[in-house]
Amino acid sequence: MIDIRKLKELVRLMVSNELTELDLRDSEEQVTLRRPSPLQATPAAAVAPSGSATAVAEAPAPSAALTDQADGIVKIESPMVGTFYAASTPDASPFVQAGSAVGPDTPVCIIEAMKIFNEIKAECSGVIEKVLIKNGEPVEFGQPLFLVRPT
Amino acid sequence: MFSRILIANRGEIALRILRAARELGIETVCVYSKADKDGPWLEQADETICIGPGPAAESYLRIDRIISAAEITNVDAIHPGYGFLAENAHFAEVCRDCHIEFIGPSPEAMALLGDKISCRSVARAAKTPISPGSDGAVEDEEKALEVAERVGYPVIIKAAAGGGGRGMRIAADEQALRSGLAPARQEAQAAFGNGSLYLEKFLEDTRHVEIQVLGDKHGHAIHLYERDCTSQRRHQKLIEESPAPGVDPKKRDAVARSAAELIRRARYTGAATVEFMMDGQQNFYMLEVNTRVQVEHPVTEMVTGVDIVQETIRIAAGEPLRWRQRDIRLSGHAIECRINAEDPDRRFQPQPGLVERFLPPGGPGVRLDTHVRAGYRIPSMYDSMIGKLIVKAPTRQEAIGKMRAALDEFTIEPIRTTIPLHRRLMDNRQFAEGDFDIHYIERLLKEAEPAAVQHTI
Repeated sequence: MIDIRKLKELVRLMVSNELTELDLRDSEEQVTLRRPSPLQATPAAAVAPSGSATAVAEAPAPSAALTDQADGIVKIESPMVGTFYAASTPDASPFVQAGSAVGPDTPVCIIEAMKIFNEIKAECSGVIEKVLIKNGEPVEFGQPLFLVRPT
Repeated sequence: MFSRILIANRGEIALRILRAARELGIETVCVYSKADKDGPWLEQADETICIGPGPAAESYLRIDRIISAAEITNVDAIHPGYGFLAENAHFAEVCRDCHIEFIGPSPEAMALLGDKISCRSVARAAKTPISPGSDGAVEDEEKALEVAERVGYPVIIKAAAGGGGRGMRIAADEQALRSGLAPARQEAQAAFGNGSLYLEKFLEDTRHVEIQVLGDKHGHAIHLYERDCTSQRRHQKLIEESPAPGVDPKKRDAVARSAAELIRRARYTGAATVEFMMDGQQNFYMLEVNTRVQVEHPVTEMVTGVDIVQETIRIAAGEPLRWRQRDIRLSGHAIECRINAEDPDRRFQPQPGLVERFLPPGGPGVRLDTHVRAGYRIPSMYDSMIGKLIVKAPTRQEAIGKMRAALDEFTIEPIRTTIPLHRRLMDNRQFAEGDFDIHYIERLLKEAEPAAVQHTI
């Protein structure tokens, strides 16, 4: 039986930390909570012309999602739609390549959308097994970017 | 004309837009959520881009991801369909700022007609009949009471930013009005982000008749006559038809012309629908304007021969309308039944799940707009409409007969759908005689409820 008090506390934590999704699991139960994104568009209302070229709400760079494969390899998946860049600038060397060690905060790539460059972090610890996307290629939400062998 | 467009929608309307684009030789990009990854319509698109997990708030409503998808696929325009971002003036503005054509009205025209109060002002100028009520927002109780005295009780308090049957409260007398204003304002603020209210005379047991209009970027607007959408349940349309049974053509023509004039004055470009209540004396009163292509557009397509979705694309591409008003003629009678994955015998409980058998009807004058086929799994997180069955015949009676036959042939198993309800309605006396009002189906369902169910919690 799901504890309502626990649920209420989780909801409060979500709202105060502006989380849109919370997934908790233990051996006995699993709770997934979702709420509309704070970036949500409002219903049709009086238009206030923004005058700016990129009319998108500011937000911290989205976090990559991780998926476990059957063979223990972890897939780093794109958290957004945009263009994949392997390095921070055209002249710089790539953030990572096959064999690079990564930790949760290691930048692995940049995904650019609407002129905003989002640095994507590994979110896991391990060694890059394979880079799946070429520099400059478009990527969709959920698209696998890297294969990582966890340590 | 555009080379490539992005379809920011799903299901049957995504397929509908895709077909129109294909006929015009335009390439298509479809965005989809993870829950829709097996959507059959996606196979028809030239490119597909995943924009997020299932919930609409994380996918089909994510302006940033949709614009990114538009940029990486180099589209010229975005078609929003209906629902989702179709009536979102901010989205239309973002498209414009990013130099992507929004297939619909300008943000200004959308906001002007989307706000009920400013829309009433434009309607007055266009001589479109509106129900007696406040000229603008009612800011305080004094103003509200003054308006109610003038138009007479009962009155209905409405949210300026509301729509689709939401944000409304009836006040039968002065006391009800006094106590209803503050809560109504709070609800409107919470639901629509705008607490502005206005008042109208409340009309009971009316019919719902709407006018389809098209406006181009060269200042021309025409109407495509009317649809009768009186067959509703809780403000959700179940059946639509054209022409509206038993309506005086002269009265209808006058209202239809005023609707086109309203669109023209608002400099509205694209397809829109002006909705009206019609009372027992066939007086029309404007309810609201829907600034988008509507679900029931096929009904009008069948009786006028105009491809409305194709026209939205042509208009957005800057083409002038190809017809003058006098070129538009009504021919025959069309009826549409919205088929929902809901169990009408169990309080319309949604029925997500696997469609194992799907045998669609066909034949002359039978059209089915659906994305569903055998083997498709209906997801639980979107609306329950799985298709629209439309028939056209020379007369209304023949159209009803044709719909009966088509519904009898239409097989969807094991999912429960509203097909049996529609089949019963085709035998209903009130429907057959066009002698109905917007609550007749609710009354019918209530009468049919066995006593045991009525007392169950």
